[in-house]
Amino acid sequence: MSLFGGIEISASALTAQRLRMDVTAENLANAQTTRGANGQPYRRKEVVLQEVQRGGFGAQLTAAIGTGSGRPGGVEAAGVVEDQTQGKLVYDPGNPYANAQGYVRMPNVDTVTEMVDLIDSSRAYEANVTAMQASKQMFTKTLDLLR
Amino acid sequence: MLFDTTQLALERSISGAAQRQEALAANLANADTPGYQRVDVDFHGALAAAMGSADPRSAVAQTTFATQADGSVGAVRADGSTVDVDAESAKLAANALEQESAVQVLHARLGILKSAMGVS
Repeated sequence: MSLFGGIEISASALTAQRLRMDVTAENLANAQTTRGANGQPYRRKEVVLQEVQRGGFGAQLTAAIGTGSGRPGGVEAAGVVEDQTQGKLVYDPGNPYANAQGYVRMPNVDTVTEMVDLIDSSRAYEANVTAMQASKQMFTKTLDLLR
Repeated sequence: MLFDTTQLALERSISGAAQRQEALAANLANADTPGYQRVDVDFHGALAAAMGSADPRSAVAQTTFATQADGSVGAVRADGSTVDVDAESAKLAANALEQESAVQVLHARLGILKSAMGVS
């Protein structure tokens, strides 16, 4: 049995949720960026998460001494993907990037969606901190047996 | 035979609760993972089966627990994840209390043994 398994799992989730918050912040920061490095309007990014299959020493030890099977490994970011939907056209003939009809293609960032994502990742972060505290408390209680 | 079946069962249930804690923490960690299926550990069931066997003492001592996918819950999120954060948090809190109560009872029983041995 890995003593700190629960804490490690919650820690992996904190890392993943923090990355989600970072990416959301980048989307919000670039909500008005009509020209990116590739000359195209900024496209909103999204983090895709995936489950970690436990490997390494912990899994080998658990298998060898036969204490429980199928122990979980946590979560990690599978990658950051770009949202391929088109942003809306805004009439702004004075803009240097306006097309012949005077419209500018804006980024596909919807600030409301980003705010909701931000709240979601923030609450998920809190939930995992609570889980981590519960794990810590459990280990402390078990250690109290020695007193 | 210093430790009786109850003592062994308490020890195994603390271990089971620790394993279940890992499973529930993993569920919470994967709340935003598309298609994730929640896992759980039925250590109550495994221990109850061991207690009901012909030789409960050795059966309990050798009980190990399996972390298994829980297919009883349908998808609760649009991305196919079966994790309900509220339900997981409630289970996490209940599991921590179960573990604590097992530790308290084990502690009290160890205290009885100690006083019988004359050590304080």
